[in-house]
Amino acid sequence: MLEKMMKTKLFGWIDERTGAEAILKSQLTEYQVPKNLNYMWNFGSLALLVLVLQILTGIFLAMYYKPSAALTMGGYTVAFDSVERIMRDVNFGWLIRYMHAVGASAFFVVVYMHIGRGLYYGSYKGPRELLWIIGVVILLIMQGAAFFGYLLPWGQMSFWGATVITNLFGALPVIGGFLQEVLRGGFAVGDPTLNRFFSLHYLFPLLLAAIVGGHVHALHVVHSNNPTGLDVHEGKSTIPFHPYYTIKDAFGVGVFLLFYCYVVFFNPQMGGYFIEVDNYVPADNLQTPPHIAPVWYLTPWYTILRSFESKLLGVVAMGASLAILFLLPFLDRSKVRSARYRPVYKQMVYLFFITVIVLGYCGHSAPTPTLKLIGQIATTYYFAFFLLLPFVHKFEKTKPLPEEI
Amino acid sequence: MAKEGVNMSDTLDHTRRNFLYVAAGGMGAVAAGAAVVPFIGSMLPAADTLAASKTEYDVSTVEAGQLVVIQWQGKPVFVVNRTPELLKEVDGHDEMLKDPNSEEIEDVSAEWMTPENRKYRAIKPEYLIVVASCTHLGCIPLYKPSVGRKEWGDSVPENWPGGWHCPCHGSLYDISARVINGSPAPHNLHLMPYKYLSDTKVVIG
Amino acid sequence: MKFKHFLTVAGMALVLALPFAALANEGGAALKHAEVNTADRDQINRGLTVFTEVCMGCHSAKYVTYKSLIDYPEIGLTREAVDELRGDKPITSGLISDLSPEDATVSYGKVPPDLSLIVNARRGGANYVYSILTGFEKDPDGKIPDGTFNEYFPGHRIAMPDPLGWLDHDEADTAVLEAQAKDVAAFLTFIGDPHQNERHAIGKYVMIFLILLTIVLYLLKKEVWKDIKH
Repeated sequence: MLEKMMKTKLFGWIDERTGAEAILKSQLTEYQVPKNLNYMWNFGSLALLVLVLQILTGIFLAMYYKPSAALTMGGYTVAFDSVERIMRDVNFGWLIRYMHAVGASAFFVVVYMHIGRGLYYGSYKGPRELLWIIGVVILLIMQGAAFFGYLLPWGQMSFWGATVITNLFGALPVIGGFLQEVLRGGFAVGDPTLNRFFSLHYLFPLLLAAIVGGHVHALHVVHSNNPTGLDVHEGKSTIPFHPYYTIKDAFGVGVFLLFYCYVVFFNPQMGGYFIEVDNYVPADNLQTPPHIAPVWYLTPWYTILRSFESKLLGVVAMGASLAILFLLPFLDRSKVRSARYRPVYKQMVYLFFITVIVLGYCGHSAPTPTLKLIGQIATTYYFAFFLLLPFVHKFEKTKPLPEEI
Repeated sequence: MAKEGVNMSDTLDHTRRNFLYVAAGGMGAVAAGAAVVPFIGSMLPAADTLAASKTEYDVSTVEAGQLVVIQWQGKPVFVVNRTPELLKEVDGHDEMLKDPNSEEIEDVSAEWMTPENRKYRAIKPEYLIVVASCTHLGCIPLYKPSVGRKEWGDSVPENWPGGWHCPCHGSLYDISARVINGSPAPHNLHLMPYKYLSDTKVVIG
Repeated sequence: MKFKHFLTVAGMALVLALPFAALANEGGAALKHAEVNTADRDQINRGLTVFTEVCMGCHSAKYVTYKSLIDYPEIGLTREAVDELRGDKPITSGLISDLSPEDATVSYGKVPPDLSLIVNARRGGANYVYSILTGFEKDPDGKIPDGTFNEYFPGHRIAMPDPLGWLDHDEADTAVLEAQAKDVAAFLTFIGDPHQNERHAIGKYVMIFLILLTIVLYLLKKEVWKDIKH
């Protein structure tokens, strides 16, 4: 079908002026992909879909949202009121708002699965190091965008979450105070903070769009990894991306939409995990809610932060836990990519996934001594995973690799 | 070109495949169309905007011969208290008017219009209530109620029947806000639905 | 174990565990259950009556306008009924209590919260509202005075005086008061998210369509991949 379109006169006219045919061929109809990819490879296209959904719903929400912390009756604010207006008065506003809130969580679910695929199958190893690094940058910008966006409704969780995190930055030596002031625009989180967070929240996803372009370009130069981790030579074991993976990705989109739409239409708050109960209470700078936690997708890093007595150490550790992701391609020295054939690494990586889940659980719960201890153990393993990697290849007996995929 | 592992099956029956392509494409198009509805729909006026669509006003506050501009749905509205002399200016120049019987657009649907009061374009002839937006490009016309050039000089034509003159592009209206021939404006100043709640209280919208 | 199997099991365990987080009430006993049906126009209207006659003495619901009481099909009051309710307040005004925050602080020590979103803003939602309204007791420890001790309020000491008169009610009144509490809980659940019924209705069609579309896409995928030895 795409081939038919490419034969039309109109397409020829466009192609003469843009080189579109060459692009479509090199990126779709002649772009070679290993034929043995499993469904873990669908999450990249799903991540792109959710990014588009978030930008789309975000733009329409921005037509009604007002980033002002000016007080209105009952302890509410103009910002909070504008969100309720979207939920009640704007035609289908409730749908667009729920899509955006659920989409934020869906974005992280999909991206964590995508990263998990990369970790398990060794997609971060050469020649894909830079592809991985760009991916980590994407993760960081996503976290920033989510953090800025969460302040916007100006509920209790919005306000206090922003207060805690901006105070974090204050812990950094020398530049801490300056950073804090630049972020907040004042002595505490307030109207200037809200306005600039709105601006940045609009900016970051657009930055993301550009960086995702770079991510896909980097991928297309080195081509996809595959479940065996073997280098694949074009021709024998590869197939063109279109129509095989376009259709497989389309099916993946269908499955994703089933989950996504079920949540949007039947349980958008997800028991308080996607839209938190305390955020239906208007922000009150004189009263902290009994239990502050970031949204679920940021909780692992919150646990790492809270595992240390020293505020500075906590901040440094949290930063290090993200920074160390950049080093992964250079820490792991094994010549074998896929965990399928690496019995030691396979255990380590499964344990790593469980650790991240445990870190997340601890971060979401109230910090009892037991949970704090568990969090510290999990934090230790988080870092141990990376720090042990350079040595694993020395003693790991890898399984024999297949001849071809 | 043949590739190992890929079956270039031009000769095989693709009926099922084509059917599935068409089905998937069709359903995808339906999904995309359905998805557009809430987004564009959200751009239509919200419920609270629509609710703010009525304005109440007490016409007895307008003095004889006076013009008052009030707001309705964010638009300017003229309320004119027409004296008996001004009411007489309504007659005698039908041939100068583009639409003397107010047959265009919403004028025709005004429930209270009878053949007799059509020319006054008001439920109570003394009080004319029209949208103060020139039907050309929206400027607010200037009130020039008296006949002739004595008061208005060259700004109005010689046979000026009294009414309004729009400064932007020169459209002219008579004392019932009916547009005069030669004006760039196509229609009389718009009427909007309104009714009297009491002798003097009007609700517009 | 295959990676994808691990993921499926882990994912399912997570999803199944999530709802259990929403169970307990922090401050007091496990909550009572209120039968609430936000599509039941009669229940919601009875709840509206309780709200306007009892709750509005102190509480506002500023996001609910008088006009919306006409427009929401789940309430559907007539223009006349609403004109009676609103007095000289404009029809676009929210349901605002006549009790000023200053007077409230003097009388009760704190400002009564707006109730537009209360069901969403409390763990337990409608069950919480119902439990509070029927939870006034005599303090078993004898420390907190009558009318201030509430079984279900976190910390047990509540600033709101017993609005339905639950504390000293007769056996004969129990059913009536419980019904009033349930009805107002239903009303508050509805106004917390007034488009929920519409959302569920549209959602049904969306899910059916998506199931069909996904099946077609699956069949198409299988069909096209027949070309490939995999």
